[in-house]
Amino acid sequence: MDERWFPTVNEREFIEQAFESGLRVDGRGPFDFRNLKIAFGREDGSAEVELGETRVMGYVTAQLVQPYKERPNEGTLAIFAEFSPMADPAYEPGRPGEAAIELGRVIDRGLRESRAVDLESLCVVAGKHVWSLRVDLHVLDNEGNLIDAANIAALAALSTFRRPECTVGGDDGQQLTIHDPDVREPLSLTIHHLPIAVTFAYFGDGNIMVVDPTFKEEAIMGGRMTVTVNSNTDVCSIQKAGGEGLMPSVVMQCLRIALLKAADITNEIKIKLSQG
Amino acid sequence: MRDLHLPLNQTQRVRLEAALHELQTLAPAAASAAAVTVADTIPVNHEDNILKGHGTTDQDGEVVATLCGVVERVNKLVYVRTLRARYKPEVGDIIVGRVIEIAPKRWRLEINFSQDAVLMLSSMNLPDGIQRRRTAVDELNMRSIFEENDVVCAEVRGFQHDGSLHLQARSQKYGKLKRGQLLTVPPYLVKRRKQHFHHLEQYDVDLILGCNGFIWVGEHVVVNEITTFNEDQEKLSAEVETFTPMETRKHICRLANAARVLSALGFTLTIELIIQTAEASLSSNVKINDMLGAEFYVQTAETEAKRRADLLGRKKGGAR
Amino acid sequence: MEHVNPLTGFRVDGRRPNEMRQLRGEVGVVSRADGSALFEMGNTRVIAAVYGPREIQNRSQQVNLKEALVRCEYRMAEFSTGDRRRKPKGDRRSTEISLVIRQTMEASILTHLMPHSQIDIFVQVLQADGGTRSACINAATLALADAGIPMKDIVTSCSAGYLCSTPLLDLNYIEDSAGGPDVTVGILAKMDKVTLLQMDAKLPMDTFETVMELATEGCKAIATYIREVLLENTKQLECQRG
Repeated sequence: MDERWFPTVNEREFIEQAFESGLRVDGRGPFDFRNLKIAFGREDGSAEVELGETRVMGYVTAQLVQPYKERPNEGTLAIFAEFSPMADPAYEPGRPGEAAIELGRVIDRGLRESRAVDLESLCVVAGKHVWSLRVDLHVLDNEGNLIDAANIAALAALSTFRRPECTVGGDDGQQLTIHDPDVREPLSLTIHHLPIAVTFAYFGDGNIMVVDPTFKEEAIMGGRMTVTVNSNTDVCSIQKAGGEGLMPSVVMQCLRIALLKAADITNEIKIKLSQG
Repeated sequence: MRDLHLPLNQTQRVRLEAALHELQTLAPAAASAAAVTVADTIPVNHEDNILKGHGTTDQDGEVVATLCGVVERVNKLVYVRTLRARYKPEVGDIIVGRVIEIAPKRWRLEINFSQDAVLMLSSMNLPDGIQRRRTAVDELNMRSIFEENDVVCAEVRGFQHDGSLHLQARSQKYGKLKRGQLLTVPPYLVKRRKQHFHHLEQYDVDLILGCNGFIWVGEHVVVNEITTFNEDQEKLSAEVETFTPMETRKHICRLANAARVLSALGFTLTIELIIQTAEASLSSNVKINDMLGAEFYVQTAETEAKRRADLLGRKKGGAR
Repeated sequence: MEHVNPLTGFRVDGRRPNEMRQLRGEVGVVSRADGSALFEMGNTRVIAAVYGPREIQNRSQQVNLKEALVRCEYRMAEFSTGDRRRKPKGDRRSTEISLVIRQTMEASILTHLMPHSQIDIFVQVLQADGGTRSACINAATLALADAGIPMKDIVTSCSAGYLCSTPLLDLNYIEDSAGGPDVTVGILAKMDKVTLLQMDAKLPMDTFETVMELATEGCKAIATYIREVLLENTKQLECQRG
């Protein structure tokens, strides 16, 4: 039985008419983000992000593994997303569905392929031991725009994560000792830049677009585009998987808006990090 | 070619290409000019109030095709006739279908349409032939009339509100089809004619060209009067004993193979063409299973090309 | 590694930076399917089969009764890549690509004309040499048109990248795995609207615009080719029908 929420005709018309008059139902402007709150857990590498009412928790763990054959002196970074059934009645426990996999891959592309986290510094013994980072994202409450919130959660968690220091020594120079955090200070990760995901939702014929859609706006949107940019005006990744067609000029316009928004959010994150 | 992936040797390939080429040159030029693909603009005189029919849509004031096909204009109506699409039903069509499911008071049949068709118990004659209200006992005995995977011939009665079809099988010529072969061809090869039931006396074979592309070739069944229940039982036991004679079976196979070859070549199926092809195979002494082979395939293509050339020649001669 | 020769300007396989690989499309390759197509872009070969519109198999999946349900499955044959793949489908990449192809085709199919039915698109990669996603979308378009399913417009897709400071059109596997940016664009050819846009790795914004434009040009060229294939096929069927 499909437990998804379906909008009524009234709600759909109400939201669409509001858009045509340039209003959003929650009073925001079309390009305003909701309130962002970041809370850090007691342990290194855990963060909880609230974007409006959407809540996502990010958790980073590290393990020593053997590197890939093609990249013997780089660590690995993997993103796993899980949609907890408490976030939405439509989510079932068990294997991640399509939406969870898409979210995981979009954030993965934005973080890993853009080389935001320095993976070479995670190498301990080239070809033998490297640190493998695993970012687990748990969606606790789905009120729309999970990708952006989860991305911020991943960034916040990675920024506060510290891995234990390890030295190579011993008789043969190959023995690896992982030092306890009490003995030696753990090291934080080298993060080159913060790729921020900005999601646009399209309505009408692709001529109305809003940033950071709420759950109800997502349910009636014609299409969605997520753009990951950083404050150095680089485009890190784009995901527009079908949906309503857009003119290329509109796409470039969205990119420019995303750059502005990303700058704001990067500032906010940096402030919160320095506070927390 | 689509269905028959045949190994053709060099000469056969050359002959086949020559025959197909000739068919193309024989086809009226207007037909190829009117072919459109998806998102092609259809040239339309904007002053007339053109009615946009199936396969067209309005984009920025222009009439644009949404399907691949041929543009047809009938008075003020412009539509795109597709070729290889699913069956498009019309009320009164004779179709052949296969029972998929037995639901309360109805059978669901698969008929190569976007939804399964429904044959209500009340639209079907009861075995004892009496016209009466269907009771619960009749409903429980539905399986004795049609079971799953039975082949049924029926007529389209109308459309339901959700777009699926309603069928009826009240006449004696409709009903369960036994002792024969069912073949599927693309529906656009079967044209709507006055007669879809053909009884070929010389072979003692029934041929039903369903409008949905399902063709039944089977042993001739005498369209019977009303039989009582006892007679039915006798007939059942009698049927078990009589097999279809070998000759009739061979004819059935020959005709079915002829239909298969014609549909693989993409020629419109008419009863005359099927009979001609079957006779051509007899006269060329082609064995039944060889009919689906490369040689007969190429031969049929050439015969058809010649036939159409003759037809065109006669038309032109008649016009002059 | 030199992906673009600085002296001659040729790429690894001898193409120019704005040259696409050889295209080949054929319809009607799977006889049992309502529509099917084989599409080749260089060494990448993809087969698509469309079944539908047919009766809905699983009632619980049906969301909107007024529209047809579109399902898509992408899988790579185990022998399609250099090393034998152990998981042809069900892994994350295949799930994401299935989702992407489905939503891209849904943007074009006129689903409201076929209520209470479902359309299944199956794409299988036979040989993978970069650009499988694009080849799959092009093959799916051909197959849907062959099946007679009404569509708003022809959807085509092409990829482009940026290596050695040159925008390159239609990356093959070697160029794709070089770690440079990879932009895949899918457009509705006649309406000139972008429906699929995926990018990974970093690019400054202006360069991105150039690369996206190059990919769009590639898509338009593919659309012209696909249109020719379909028109030829339609004319042939009509002539043979008699």
